[in-house]
Amino acid sequence: MSIEISNITKTFDSFKALNNIHLKINTGELVALLGPSGSGKTTLLRIIAGLERADGGSIIFDGKDNTKKTTQDRKVGFVFQHYALFKHMTVFENIAFGLKVRPSKLRPSKEEINKKVHELLALVKMEELAKRYPSQLSGGQRQRIALARALVVEPKVLLLDEPFGALDAKVRKDLRRWLRKLHDKYPITSVFVTHDQEEALDVADRIVILNQGKIEQIGTPEEVYDNPVNPFVYNFLGNVNLFHGRVHKGKAEFGSLKLDVPEHLEARDRQVVSYTRPHDIEICLEAQGHEFIAAEIIFIRAIGPIVNLEMKRVDNGEYIEAEISKENYRNLKLKLGQIVYVKPRDFRIFIPEDYVI
Amino acid sequence: MAGVIPINVRRTNQNKARERTLQTSKVIPIFLTAIALIFFILMLIVPLVSVFVKAFEQGAGLYYAAISDPIAFKAIKLTLITISIVVPINTVFGLIAAWAIAKFKFKGKNLLITFIDLPFAISPVVAGLIFVLLFSTSYGLFAPLLNAWGIKIIFAPAGIVLATLFVTLPFVARELIPLMEAQGTSEEEAALTLGASGFKTFLFITLPNIKWALIYSIMLTAARAAGEFGAVSVVSGHIRGLTNTVPLHVEILYNEYKFSAAFAVASLLTVIAIINVIIKNIADWKIKQQTKI
Repeated sequence: MSIEISNITKTFDSFKALNNIHLKINTGELVALLGPSGSGKTTLLRIIAGLERADGGSIIFDGKDNTKKTTQDRKVGFVFQHYALFKHMTVFENIAFGLKVRPSKLRPSKEEINKKVHELLALVKMEELAKRYPSQLSGGQRQRIALARALVVEPKVLLLDEPFGALDAKVRKDLRRWLRKLHDKYPITSVFVTHDQEEALDVADRIVILNQGKIEQIGTPEEVYDNPVNPFVYNFLGNVNLFHGRVHKGKAEFGSLKLDVPEHLEARDRQVVSYTRPHDIEICLEAQGHEFIAAEIIFIRAIGPIVNLEMKRVDNGEYIEAEISKENYRNLKLKLGQIVYVKPRDFRIFIPEDYVI
Repeated sequence: MAGVIPINVRRTNQNKARERTLQTSKVIPIFLTAIALIFFILMLIVPLVSVFVKAFEQGAGLYYAAISDPIAFKAIKLTLITISIVVPINTVFGLIAAWAIAKFKFKGKNLLITFIDLPFAISPVVAGLIFVLLFSTSYGLFAPLLNAWGIKIIFAPAGIVLATLFVTLPFVARELIPLMEAQGTSEEEAALTLGASGFKTFLFITLPNIKWALIYSIMLTAARAAGEFGAVSVVSGHIRGLTNTVPLHVEILYNEYKFSAAFAVASLLTVIAIINVIIKNIADWKIKQQTKI
């Protein structure tokens, strides 16, 4: 089922949680709503589910207007951040709930419910825990039961609110892989909310980046990571180095670093900021022309295949972070306190007047 | 081997205990516990026991006679009728109020909470007087109406029920609101997304979650309804066999120097109180079990 979010606006008291949101989610897609806390992502998810009412705009499922429908009639599966399992019911009863509460005409027989629940228990690999109570389960197990409970009614849309937010790092990674696999097998249109960019990049088909109630960018993980449309997205998706400088007639100047920026030919002496990812920083032992900045190495973390370096620019004292391969690190024989020459291999320049950060 | 391991275990346990408790001598906790216990015995246990001692002072025969006396019997009957009217009404009201306050956002919520607390703040005697001022057939605000229709509220069972309703109004709501607020709405929301109707959500999700607190608050309402003296005394008029409840009957017996009989009837109320305490303990334990997650 496709979801069309059109012109959705929501205000809490004086706080504008969502501002004219337009978004189309295609059938079978797995979409991540990514943003910092307070960006409106959970509110949007709850509006899709009908748990919250929008002040304006409409929610359309498969071309049919669902805006005025109640949560019960929307038939969405919803997985809550803190599981929201029914504490007084066993795992089995939790999963069976969605079938048991149907009006008697639509309710499956006891045997059918039994069969269906065991099917789902098998799907989440928890058959042996059917008789347990939620308080006897670990966080990861609870979340899988919450998912099984949501799937039992065969929803056309699955909504997940920070599904792995309350779990520890290892379990989180396992579960999100598992969710990805599950989605490949049963492609239900799914939307999940997260503030973890790694999680979004890892799992989603498309990422919607929200900030202060507005959509900043929509795209595949590659698109948003490689081509962020603005400084916010750049900042939010991974570490970045920030360079403040000026642009004049296609030439950019960042302290001692001078670069050609043909896309800003028309700029006349404008203040700019430039963003470069740590892994796009090139390090040389000797200066080669104007494209390099002298910097002192102040911190080295050489654990694992990637070496993290922190450097302080000699000209203006700003910090630069870099990630290089262990091999490269050994070849360069870098040491603490050493002066090296640094060049951003790939960078983007934004004129700040267009964006407020 | 079995002998070695426990010793080690005990030692580590002791170390842990030492880390967690205050570094004081053993005298102070014993001293403080003793003071608390002595006070508890003097103020609570001794009076409680003395009620029963006094009640049975002149033998079980007189005890039975005091309780089965026709006037005492009528007082018990009126008290039971009052309970059976007041408890269901206040339970339903309390549930609705607690549900609305804990699960929804609306204007005037704080005002509603304040109103629910009002009977706690007002002296029962004043509460009784309010009803006299409203419903007295001679000088009450609604006197003309009541006289025209021939309805008698003050100095009649209806007034006793009204006064008891007023006094016991906050118990259910007050007990449920903090629990329901702590539980939040996510389980209910989960039920809604699974297609459960509002009523089924209430029946299968909300009610089981508050079951024990509800039972306890109903007990509390019933105990207070049975024991209420001040407000009822004002509106009752003490007409024997007609508008006398159990506490009022106890007072009459006491004033007539029939101490054993007074204590015999009073012991009935005490039994209710003891049952109450037991149920509260069970309920507390069950609530703790439920909110473990």
